[in-house]
Amino acid sequence: MTASPGFHACAVVPSHDHWRVVGAVVAALRAEGLPVFVVDDGSAEPARTVLAALHDPAGGVTVHRLAVNQGKGAAVMEGFRLARAAGFTHAVQVDADGQHDLAAVPRLLALARRHPHAVVTGRPVYDDSIPTGRAIGRWITHVWVWVETLSFRLRDTMCGFRVYPLAPVDSLLATGVAVGRRMDFDTEIMVRLFWRGTPVAELPVRVTYPPDNTSNFDTLRDNLRISWMHTRLVFTMLARLPSILANRPPPLDIPPPKGPSHWAGLGERGLYWGLRFCAAAYRLFGRRGCMAVLAPIVLYFYLTGTEQRRVSRAFLARAFAAKGIARAPGWWDGYRHFLSFAGRALDTFAAWTGGMDAGTVEPAEVDALRVAEASAQGAVFIVAHVGNVDLSRALLDDAARRRLLVLVHTRHAENYNRVLREFNPEAAVNTFQVTEIGPDTAIALKERVEQGAWVVIAGDRTPVVVGGGAAGGRVSAVPFLGEPAPFSQGPYILASLLECPVYLLFCRRDGDRHRLYAERLAERIELPRQRRADALAAYAAAFASSLERHTLADPFQWYNFFDFWASGPTGDP
Amino acid sequence: MVDLELEIKRLIVDSLKLEDIRPEDIDSLEPLFVEGLGLDSIDALELGIALRKRFGIKIDSATDNVKKHFFNVQSLAVFVHSQKAE
Repeated sequence: MTASPGFHACAVVPSHDHWRVVGAVVAALRAEGLPVFVVDDGSAEPARTVLAALHDPAGGVTVHRLAVNQGKGAAVMEGFRLARAAGFTHAVQVDADGQHDLAAVPRLLALARRHPHAVVTGRPVYDDSIPTGRAIGRWITHVWVWVETLSFRLRDTMCGFRVYPLAPVDSLLATGVAVGRRMDFDTEIMVRLFWRGTPVAELPVRVTYPPDNTSNFDTLRDNLRISWMHTRLVFTMLARLPSILANRPPPLDIPPPKGPSHWAGLGERGLYWGLRFCAAAYRLFGRRGCMAVLAPIVLYFYLTGTEQRRVSRAFLARAFAAKGIARAPGWWDGYRHFLSFAGRALDTFAAWTGGMDAGTVEPAEVDALRVAEASAQGAVFIVAHVGNVDLSRALLDDAARRRLLVLVHTRHAENYNRVLREFNPEAAVNTFQVTEIGPDTAIALKERVEQGAWVVIAGDRTPVVVGGGAAGGRVSAVPFLGEPAPFSQGPYILASLLECPVYLLFCRRDGDRHRLYAERLAERIELPRQRRADALAAYAAAFASSLERHTLADPFQWYNFFDFWASGPTGDP
Repeated sequence: MVDLELEIKRLIVDSLKLEDIRPEDIDSLEPLFVEGLGLDSIDALELGIALRKRFGIKIDSATDNVKKHFFNVQSLAVFVHSQKAE
């Protein structure tokens, strides 16, 4: 990747009393090859000394101190001035408290290179660490911004993780307009740039509120300041309506951000309490009784879960077409799909609370599994969100069960594991939390596989963190139910590194029983450097074809409640 | 340290099967990924595995700055050396 002509990026890190992780933030930015401007916004000790010690012009780090605290916006603008004076065309703004996922920097920059006139902003995908008050506050801001820009195009204007083109910023500031100098800065500068015709490109990024973080956000004063900013912006907007409408930048030609329909953002509403309720009811009423009790609850979720309802219908339409069913899925089919999902949760509970005996899982095609069991060597098992692969554990003896090491996306699995553990501590299998695979995770997993572990990884979820300098973000577009869909390359890349056999594992409900299917995908996955992409696509296609077979056997057991095909075929977010 | 750097360069060329590059062509200070040598994220994983095989390194995801260690040959050598010392 070479820089486009005239694209010279640096990073600007404003800090007011943030010092614990700022060194790591700066080092990570340097590792991306970015010169860094740290603006110390009148910090007290010990931050002042820590920040000053980072100053290393030869090493690409410039620390500039504002003697008196002026606010985040003022500090960022000071950083922009320094960057522009040093000849940079673009600046990445990064918070000093480590809440931004710096692995996203290369993606932000890549998008900025493609759209050098746009502001490229991270659109946060929060983990559960965001304080509720902040979350509500953010949402109110989004609504205001939609009013102010008369557009839904700016979807998150409060994220301070952005690439700014410095020229339009400069000309905006040269007009003498007073842009908010404190916490109101991030939103106001973006709205004002948008008014002047600067387009905005968004990228989903992970944001964490570190546990020991001391935020400089002053709830009362900053909320008042933000309210005043919105008042100011709305009146300005009304006064200058014609020119703002005339200057509205055209939408950028980038793949639509997939945030809202991506599963990580759905939050699995109410799952915890819903599942607790089922587990209690199952003990009292059995499966049939439980489904009767669950039906109205599922109906509630069906009626309120607009997004899931839409993707369920869209999926069923594809599956019906692929199966040669002439009619389109109706209201009842969608509801049945939801009910089936509830039934799946119920079965899992039943299995682990002793309501279901091992005999309810029948071996259908398990020769490959027996081979894996007989070998002391580890293996990779690729699974899918079809049927109920959790139950396959019922067919394994204790020794085999202990070999399982399930790769999980923490947040998604959290509610579920919490409930499981409560009923049966043994039900909680060994898990390995991973959002992206780096050299560190590869090394750790290699060690486990050498000890005989069976690494279980889902093959039908596109990674949350796309690209980000790790193999977790790659996808291959391969045919699935009649149209190319993005499948993660992660499982195959991982399997090639682990140098062990790779199996596919499916478990489907069939009447009152479940049937288990295992097949060997490859004894070894090899990825020759010259034709890596082809090799990866071939493995993904083999998985997709097997997935298709099991999906079509009973489409209502497909539990990917997000727009599977929409995530974009190229791997770009 | 210079020997270790050369050994790492050989390891990079061998494990990643870089056919058109000789170990001595790699500058210890040039970035390994994206710019510089132009390796990608899969290469990073393979290199990690190769380093483990050769030097028995371990990386603690919680405390080690992986990106920093994998920045160039020199930073890798420092990292491998620090692990050997333990």
